[in-house]
Amino acid sequence: MYCINCGVKLETSEEICPLCGTAVCHPDVKIDREKQLYPKGRIPEIKHRSKAFNGAVIIMFLIPIVVSFLADFHFDREIRWFAYVLGALVIGYTVFALPLWFEKPNPVIFTPCVVAETIGYLLYINCVNGGGWFLSFAFPVAGGFGLIATAVVALLYYLKKGKLYIWGGAFILTGGFIMLIEFFMSITFDIEFFGWSLYPLSVLVLLGGLMIYLAINKSAREVMERKLFF
Amino acid sequence: MKKSERKPLSWVKLDNAAKIYPAVRRKKWSNVFRQSATLIEEIDKDVLSSALKTVVKRFPAIAARLRKSAFWYYLQEIDAPPEIMDEYSYPLTFMSRKEMRRCAFRVIVYKNRIAVEFFHSLTDGTGALVFLKNLVAEYLEQKYDISVPCEDGIVDRKAEPREEELEDSFLKVAGNVPLSRKDTTAWHMNGEPEVGGYLNLTCFKLSVNQVIEKAHEYNTTLTVFLGAVMMKALANLQKEKTRSRKKQKPVKLLIPVNLRSLYPSETLRNFAMFTIPEIDPRQGDYTIDEIVKVIYHKMGAEVTAKHMSGVIAANVKDEKNMFLRVVPLPLKNAVMKAVFDSVGECKSCLNLSNLGLVKMPDIMKKYVTRMDFILGVQAAAPYNCGVLSYGDTVYMNFIRNIREPDLERHFYNVLKELGIETVLESNRK
Repeated sequence: MYCINCGVKLETSEEICPLCGTAVCHPDVKIDREKQLYPKGRIPEIKHRSKAFNGAVIIMFLIPIVVSFLADFHFDREIRWFAYVLGALVIGYTVFALPLWFEKPNPVIFTPCVVAETIGYLLYINCVNGGGWFLSFAFPVAGGFGLIATAVVALLYYLKKGKLYIWGGAFILTGGFIMLIEFFMSITFDIEFFGWSLYPLSVLVLLGGLMIYLAINKSAREVMERKLFF
Repeated sequence: MKKSERKPLSWVKLDNAAKIYPAVRRKKWSNVFRQSATLIEEIDKDVLSSALKTVVKRFPAIAARLRKSAFWYYLQEIDAPPEIMDEYSYPLTFMSRKEMRRCAFRVIVYKNRIAVEFFHSLTDGTGALVFLKNLVAEYLEQKYDISVPCEDGIVDRKAEPREEELEDSFLKVAGNVPLSRKDTTAWHMNGEPEVGGYLNLTCFKLSVNQVIEKAHEYNTTLTVFLGAVMMKALANLQKEKTRSRKKQKPVKLLIPVNLRSLYPSETLRNFAMFTIPEIDPRQGDYTIDEIVKVIYHKMGAEVTAKHMSGVIAANVKDEKNMFLRVVPLPLKNAVMKAVFDSVGECKSCLNLSNLGLVKMPDIMKKYVTRMDFILGVQAAAPYNCGVLSYGDTVYMNFIRNIREPDLERHFYNVLKELGIETVLESNRK
């Protein structure tokens, strides 16, 4: 029996040509389904991660929450430091455990969620302590790092190529951002602008530049790959 | 019997090549391959169960399960043979860690066919073939009351396993100076992934005589010739997908080498290395004749005991490194996986593993109509191809986890241009 489209010779068990997808049709030859290599429609059940495991992880997170709540209340007769523990554990759960509930967790959604939680957590600490450092320091620092992290994660996730460019750009951007952090520190905490941020800036710009150079220069990249991986 | 009175199950360390496979497993991928024998009549599962019970005792390192300790994985003899499974719509369904902990191989029956799927840490193609042939021999003896002579890989199933069969031969043949493992990156095929992990199998059936005759026209062997046809098909496919010649990448084929033909070893555990012939399509279109020469000379230079000893020395050196040995297993796994992901599979487009002509005693040939060898897909690359010859037919099993049968189409076109006839079978949905 031959495929009427691509001309390949097929076993009499074939219903569709495996090369071009054309339905096999021959007036004199009957398709011999008994000879088919594999049974049709017997697909193994895909086992998803057990919900019980995810439940156990929640309990692992709940235990310190309950213990710290009881301890805080027992010693102080009021809630003082418990909210710090709770906030940190919620952030930890979002980072490490929440993605387990999803078949294909999308990091581009999770990263800004974690950033938002962190900013909320810092805002709470600031409000409770009356620090006055949130708007001029914590918010721009956490927000800036969050933006860089989200951009890197999104680019790595959606672009298949150009990893070295992405990382190189992220390093240089982070270096520049550290200078801004020093600036925010100086205006918030009234510290003199010392210029220490130039050191991490120079290191990060050098590393980022090296990555972009390797991304552009193929032969240099191959030399580095050999040196690092063999 | 009290628990303490039971004979402890024997265990063996993983051989040098087997160590990588458990470390690089993924959530939906493990390195599993299949060999199968098709008989003249429908398989009697009860008789097969009984035959399996005898055979697992004879091959304790193959009929094993994968366990782990704090510093390494090891294989432990199974205390009872696994249950015989029914066939799914595709071969080599995912073997989970849980399943490997219970038993790292499966026996699957479908109509007239007995298939065995092995996790690669247990053995290589040659060892697996011995296991399958002995399982079939035992089945035939019990079912048809015949006597199969101990030749062509058939052993006395009632005897104790021999020491030589259980040894890690890599350690014996490692050379003094390790050779570099550096290699260039190959072109990688891609396509639309199949839903739910479905694997598409396409079997090309060729006439042994016709292929050998054609191979002789090019003054070469069947493996080299089929390798050349495959590389030509890969080059044509790349040309179709990447029009710009400058942007094309090297076409490379990983051809496993059975080291038992180079060294005096009788091991039934992993004892294979590989060679990776390469053509660079940026330099122009290659003819089959040119590719044959590339593969022939590459194999001539590398498939030698001395060269392989050097390559093995590099692998064994890592194994013997005191620092690496004391590192806890999870850390070892993470490092091995990172290295494998960055360099492991980038070095070839696909594996073309040829088990050669399967021989068995004449009395068995009357009952066995067909043999097959199917490799699982690679972790990151969508294709692989297992080849063997039985009787007067070459069975080439292409497996892929993507929808498009592009490589098969190009492979068929090259065969057609060469005037080689083929018959196709598949498990198309």
